[in-house]
Amino acid sequence: MSDQQHTAQLSPIHAFLTTRPQTALSRLYTRPSACLAVFRLLDDVARQIVMSLLWLDSKTGVDLTAWVVPNEDSRKHYAAALQDLVRLHIAKEANGRILLLPAFQSGLRRALTGGGEHRSFGVPCPGARGKEVMATEQLDDYASERWESILHFMVSSGSSAGRVPPPSIAVIFLLRRSGLMVPIGAERHPESRITSKGFQFLLEDSHTQLWELLLQYLAMSEDQGRDLVEVIGFLFMLGSMQLGQEYSTENLSETQDVMLQDFLDYGLIYRRNPDDHTRFYPTRLATTLTSTSSLAFTSSKHEKAASSEGFIILETNYRVYAYTENPLQIAVLNLFVALHSRFENLVIGRLTRESIKAALANGITADQIISYLTVHAHPMMHKNNPVLPVTVQDQIRLWQLEKNRLKSENGYLYEDFNSQGDFDLVLNYAKQLDVVLWENREKRKMFVREDGHENVREFIRRRAES
Amino acid sequence: MFGDQDFAYLQLKGDHMSRPLWIDPVDGHIILEGFSPIAEQAQDFLVAISEPVSRPSFIHEYKLTAYSLYAAVSVGLETEDIIEVLNRLSKVPIPDNVLQYIRSCTMSYGKVKLVLKHNKYFVESTHPEILQTLLRDQEIRSARVVPGAGGTYEAANALDNGKKKMVHGAENNSGKGSKAGTPAPGSGTVTPGSKPGQTDADLFSAVVGVDQDEIEEDDENTVSFQIMDDKIDDVKKRCHDLDFPVLEEYDFRNDTVNANLDIDLKPITVIRPYQEKSLSKMFGNGRARSGIIVLPCGAGKTLVGITAACTIKKSTLVLCTSTVSVMQWKQQFMQWSNITDRQISVFTAEQKEKFSGAAGIVVSTYSMVANTRNRSYESQKMMDFLTSREWGFILLDEVHVVPAQMFRRVVTTIKAHAKLGLTATLVREDNKIDDLNYMIGPKLYEANWMDLAAKGHIANVQCAEVWCPMPPEFYREYLREKPRRRMLLYCMNPNKFQACQFLIDYHERRGDKIIVFSDNVFALEAYAKKLSKPFIHGATAQVERMRVLQNFQHNPVVNTIFLSKVGDTSIDLPEATCLIQISSHFGSRRQEAQRLGRILRAKRRNDEGFNAFFYSLVSKDTQEMYYSTKRQQFLIDQGYAFKVITQLEGLHTMPNLVYKTPSEQIELLQSVLIANESALDFSGSDLMNLQGDQAQKARNRAQKYEAKRAVGSLSALSGAQHMSYIERNKTANRQLAREANANRHKLFKKRDVQKKQGANGA
Repeated sequence: MSDQQHTAQLSPIHAFLTTRPQTALSRLYTRPSACLAVFRLLDDVARQIVMSLLWLDSKTGVDLTAWVVPNEDSRKHYAAALQDLVRLHIAKEANGRILLLPAFQSGLRRALTGGGEHRSFGVPCPGARGKEVMATEQLDDYASERWESILHFMVSSGSSAGRVPPPSIAVIFLLRRSGLMVPIGAERHPESRITSKGFQFLLEDSHTQLWELLLQYLAMSEDQGRDLVEVIGFLFMLGSMQLGQEYSTENLSETQDVMLQDFLDYGLIYRRNPDDHTRFYPTRLATTLTSTSSLAFTSSKHEKAASSEGFIILETNYRVYAYTENPLQIAVLNLFVALHSRFENLVIGRLTRESIKAALANGITADQIISYLTVHAHPMMHKNNPVLPVTVQDQIRLWQLEKNRLKSENGYLYEDFNSQGDFDLVLNYAKQLDVVLWENREKRKMFVREDGHENVREFIRRRAES
Repeated sequence: MFGDQDFAYLQLKGDHMSRPLWIDPVDGHIILEGFSPIAEQAQDFLVAISEPVSRPSFIHEYKLTAYSLYAAVSVGLETEDIIEVLNRLSKVPIPDNVLQYIRSCTMSYGKVKLVLKHNKYFVESTHPEILQTLLRDQEIRSARVVPGAGGTYEAANALDNGKKKMVHGAENNSGKGSKAGTPAPGSGTVTPGSKPGQTDADLFSAVVGVDQDEIEEDDENTVSFQIMDDKIDDVKKRCHDLDFPVLEEYDFRNDTVNANLDIDLKPITVIRPYQEKSLSKMFGNGRARSGIIVLPCGAGKTLVGITAACTIKKSTLVLCTSTVSVMQWKQQFMQWSNITDRQISVFTAEQKEKFSGAAGIVVSTYSMVANTRNRSYESQKMMDFLTSREWGFILLDEVHVVPAQMFRRVVTTIKAHAKLGLTATLVREDNKIDDLNYMIGPKLYEANWMDLAAKGHIANVQCAEVWCPMPPEFYREYLREKPRRRMLLYCMNPNKFQACQFLIDYHERRGDKIIVFSDNVFALEAYAKKLSKPFIHGATAQVERMRVLQNFQHNPVVNTIFLSKVGDTSIDLPEATCLIQISSHFGSRRQEAQRLGRILRAKRRNDEGFNAFFYSLVSKDTQEMYYSTKRQQFLIDQGYAFKVITQLEGLHTMPNLVYKTPSEQIELLQSVLIANESALDFSGSDLMNLQGDQAQKARNRAQKYEAKRAVGSLSALSGAQHMSYIERNKTANRQLAREANANRHKLFKKRDVQKKQGANGA
C-alpha cells in the first residue's frame, strides 16, 4: 500500500530510478539527454537545488539550509527534495553540505550548453530529398490508432461482443507479463483475457498507462540480459526528441535497434517506409514521455483530441451521455455503464447498481470510476462544483461498500468434545475471556477468536492433565 | 453491445452542432441538449408535443406518445408543422417510423371538436373529410340534427344567427361568400373548404409556442354539424371507438343561456409567466378547452384555477380532496378575486349552503359529490341543486388522486361545459392516468420544476435519504414476521426514532418549521407522543385539526407537526421549510412528489441562499430501501438529487436521545409485536376518513365499538416484561387545547384571580 502511494506521488519511472544502484545511474548520467530528462522528473525544490549547485565547482559542497524559510512546511519540502536527490545519486550530503555528484553535474552541463560528440539527443536525418516532411497530425493519428488498438484489444477480450484483432505477439507477451491479461483456453493457442488489474489499467490516462507498460518492458529487458542503462537511456533520448523530425538510426546500439522495432507496435515510433530501417519518426507518445504534465499527450492533440478530452455528461438521474464515436471509449464506458443506445456522435447509458457491481466484480474500484468520469467530464460539467453530482458519487461508493459488509475474523474451531460437561466448561471459560465468536451447544462446537486461542488451548490441556 | 439500439446509421446533418436534439427511432425518445442556445424554444415546443421523461441540468429526455401528440393537436399544432419544426431542431433526420407515428397519431387525434355553442352541441372540424368519415357511421348519422328535419333546432339556430352564418353544419367564411348563408341542399355533405397553405408565420408560432394560434383558429375553414343533446354520450363514445376522439371546447363568450358571473381578479393579483403560458394553452383560441394542467405543488395551481374561472365567468364548481382544502380554496378565491362571500359557497359534511344569485361558485369534495349511499336530507337537496343546473366550468383539484370510479361518477352527474384538471404529478403506479385523458382531456401544459426553482417561483430543496440501521433484535423479528408487520417494524426502528429526533432538534434550532409524515397511524402516534409533538391523522376531529394547524402557523413554540396521509395534498402550510418522512406508501412516486410539494411554497424561499430540506428516513436492509429508490424516481427525473446520509454527525452525543438503552429498545419492540391488526394498516383507509357524512357516522360507530385484542402472557400483563400502564406519552394535541383556553392576557388573569379572591373574601 505504501509502495503504491509512493509511486502515485512520483512518476513511475522516477520511482523506478530510485531503486537503481549508483553504478547504473552514473553510467546513465553520462548521457546528457538522460540528465536533462531526470532533471525534468524532479519537483520544483529539487530542481532549484540542482540549478544553484550546477555551476559550482566547490569540492566541499554548500550548506543550503540558510535558504530555507524557517517553518515546518518548507523544511519538510527541503528535506524531501534532498532525500530524493540523494536517492537518485544526483547529489550527496556530507556534514550538512550538499554537493552534486560529478557524473550528473557534467552530464547536465553538457545538455544545457550543447556541443560534444555524445549524440544522446538523437541524430536528425537531413530532410529527405523529394519527400515532404510528415505532418504532426498524421503522426498523432498513427500513434493514437496504434495505442488504442492495443487498449481496445484488452477491453474486447473481456466481453463477448465484437472481438478486435490482436496486436503483435510481443505486445501480448508484455501484457501478460505485466499481469494485465492472462492466457486462457487451449494450451497451444491460448486466448488472452483481461484481468482485474487490466481493467484498472484501462481507466488510467494514457501517459500513466504507457509508463506502466514501459516499466514492464524495462523489467523484461533486464531479464533478457539487456543493458538497462541503454534501454533507459534510449527512452530518455526519445523523450527529448522533436516531434515531426525524422531521426537516423546510425548511432544506435544493437539493443536500441531491437527496442526501436518493439516500439513500432506501441505507436511510439513511425517508419515512413517499413523496410527502411535506417530512419524513423518519434510520435507524440514518445516525445512526451518525460514531460511532467500527464495530459501532454491528449491535450496538445488537435481538434479531435480536444473534443475527446471531455465528453461525458453524468446527470443526477444517473444517466450518462457520452459525446464519442471512439470504439475504445465506448468499450471502456461499457465496463461500468449500462449502455442503452448510441447515435453517430452520442452514446446513452445509465449507471445502475448492476453495472457498477459488474465493474466492481472486475476489480475496478469506485474511486477509479469516479476519477475516470471526472477526468473525462464534458466541458459543460465543469460549470458544476464538484464536477460530478455528489449524490451519484456517493452512491457509487455506497455500492462498493455494499460489497464489504462481511467482516472476517481469524480464529479456531473447537469440536469433538467428549462430553457436554467438558464443552460447557470450556465454553464458560472462553466466555469469561470474551473470545467466543460462535457456539453451538447441540453440535458441541465453538469458534474462538485468534487471540483467545492460546488461553483456551492451555485451559483444555490443563483440564486433560488433571 | 447496442443491438438494435445502435443508431449510428442515422447520419448527422452537416450543421448538427447548432441543432439541439436527437430522435431515438425505436422508442420515440427525444434527447435534448439543455445547454444549447435555442434550448428554451425547443423545450417549449417539446413540452407541447411530447411527455417530459427527465429534465435534469444538462440533457433532457422527452417521449413522443399518442396522448402527447393528441394534446399537441388539441392546442392547435398541425401535423406538418410538428414534423417541420422537429426536423429543423434535430441533428439527425427524423426516422421514418417516427414520422409515420406522428402522422398516424395526429391524423385522427384532436381533429374533431365537440362544441357547446348557444347551448347546442356541434361536432366541428377543420378537416371536412373527417366529418364525412364520421357521418358514414350509422350511429353518428342518427344522432345528427339535419337542418330542416329537426325544426326546433333550426329555429333556435336561426335566432342567434345574427352575426354568424351558422345555419348549417357547413360553415365557411373563407371567401366563398356565395355559399355561406345559402342553405345548400343536403348540407350533411360538408363543403370542402380550400385550405390555405401554411405560412411561415404559422411555423414560427409553432416553434415559439402557440401564443399566436388564435389567428389560425379564427373559425376559418371550420365545418360542423349539430347533434342532439341526448345523444352526446353515444357520439363521444362512438367517435372514440372510431379513433377520432372528440375534443371538448366551450365557447363561453357566446354562451347566452347560462348567466354570467361577475368575477374578476383583483388588480393586485399578479400572474406569473408560466401560469400565463399554461392558461394560454387552455384559452388559445378564445374558447375554453378541457384538459389538465400540471404544475409543481406550490407553483400556484390554485391561482391558475381561479384565473381560469375569472376568464370564463360562469358558474363554477370546484372539487377537491378534503375539507381543509375546501376551506383553502374558498379563502384563495376571496383573496385573489373580487368575488363576494354571498357568491361563493361550500358543500361539505359540516356545511351545506347555496350561493345566492343566478351564478356563483360552489366548492366541495369528490367524496361528497360522488357519494351514492344514503345522504342526509340536506345534502340530498344540495346534490339536487348541483345536478339540476348547468355549470360553465368545473375545476378538478389534484385529479391524480381520485379513484377512476369516483371520477366517472362526478363527470357524468355534473353537467359542465369546460373541465380543468389540476395536478402536480401525472404519475400513478396503476397507470390509470390514461383514463384521465379520456375523461377530462389531454394534458395542456407541464412545467419544468428545476426551471421554476431557478427562477425562485418554488423553493430550492435539498433532498436526503437517511439510512437508519436496524438493531439486531428488530432485524431478527423483521425476518421472522409476516410482510404486514414487517412494515411496522421498519417504521418503528429505534434508530429511526433517534434520527427523527435529531433532525427535528437540529432544524428547530435553525428556525425551521418541520412537518413529519407517516403513513402508518400507529407509528405516527408513537413518534408524536414520544417526542411530544402535535399530530393530525384521519381520525382527528376537524376542530382539533384546525387548532393544530393554526398553532403550527402562528405559535413560535410549535415548530413541528406530525401528519398522516391526510397531509399529503392540499394542506397549505407555507411556513413549513423542512420535511421528514418516516413511513410511506410503498413505491409511490406520486406521494413522494406531493409531499415534497408541501415545502416548495415555503414563504422564505426568496431569502438569499434559502434551502428547504426533505429527509426520507429508511431502515437499512429492508424492503423500504427498495421502495425508497423507486419513489424517488420521479423527482430524480425532474432533476432533484437525493443525497444518502449514512451517519448523522453528533447523533449519539445528543442529550435526551430516545431509546438509547437496549432495554428501552426491547420495550419498543414488544409494543410493536403486540400492536393489533389495525396498527398495521398502511393503505389508504386513513385517507378514506375524509369528509362526508357517512364517514363521520362510520367514525362515531368505530369509536363506540372499538376494542383492542392482543395476545400476551400473564407475566407481560402483570408488567414483568417492561409493560407499564402509566401514560407517559401524552399527546401534545391536548396540551395545545389546554393552552388555547388558558391563553388569556395577564391582565385578565389577574382580574380573574382578584375576582375569585374578592368572592372568597365576601
